[in-house]
Amino acid sequence: MSRKDAVEGIIFQALKTLNQERGPDEQIDIGADTALFGPDAVLTSLELVSVMVDIETLAADEFGQPISLTDDEAMGRDPVPFLNVSTLRAYILELLGE
Amino acid sequence: MANITLEGEFVTLRPLAVDDAALTLAWRQGGRAAYLNVGAQSVEQQANWIASRPPSEYNFIIELKDGRPVGMVSLSGVDTTHRHAEPGRFLIGDAEAVQGVPAAVEAMKLIYDLAFGTLELERVHGSIPADNTLMIKWQKFMGMTEEGRLRNHFFINGKFQDAVWFGMLAEEYRAKVQPKMEVFIKAARRQK
Repeated sequence: MSRKDAVEGIIFQALKTLNQERGPDEQIDIGADTALFGPDAVLTSLELVSVMVDIETLAADEFGQPISLTDDEAMGRDPVPFLNVSTLRAYILELLGE
Repeated sequence: MANITLEGEFVTLRPLAVDDAALTLAWRQGGRAAYLNVGAQSVEQQANWIASRPPSEYNFIIELKDGRPVGMVSLSGVDTTHRHAEPGRFLIGDAEAVQGVPAAVEAMKLIYDLAFGTLELERVHGSIPADNTLMIKWQKFMGMTEEGRLRNHFFINGKFQDAVWFGMLAEEYRAKVQPKMEVFIKAARRQK
């Protein structure tokens, strides 16, 4: 599996974990275009934080390298790197030095 | 109950009123409130509970700027001698309405600003059932430090659970948490 696929898999896993917290009629449709932040987002800010924290944990386990998605650098970027799954994947790969 | 309104950029915190009894009861009976204390079971009981809030408590409805009520939050146990209080009763009742809006972040920032700014408190604290992982992650992101555990403190969903005890000091809020919240809100502003 490529690192790109591995990162996407981690993001999907974090969103699946969030879906377990949601009701049957509130399930998030998970895909590369799933909007995470901004006007089109399907998450509340509370849920976004939960997903980011889970991704940080999963990425550290998978790659043996800590990444921070909830620091000022990530949130201060313009555009925000976690607008959707694709942009978040690109940002994580950047953090991993890809 | 203290009667003040807190204005943010995305949300307003206005005082909880007896007229909110039906709405807040419906929120509290929803799945997202599974970890809140068991409360009123009828609108009348909820109205009585709201009417009996003491002056030392600040209970709010979280409203979007278009006036839609989307949740609730409070600051209770305000102790002006020891200068601490407990943020809590935090619930986003209408999750769909706040998707893409930093309502939860800004509501908590307004509560912390009230605690550490207006009221000049030194510390806020609270406990969360150990199984409420979503809220534990949230509180850590919000700058809370885990200070300990109370074993088998809650009986929820048919089993005992530890209470995870969190606290935050005024200095920690000003140095780290407030700037982080402002960056988050600023990021949301750019996406408007």
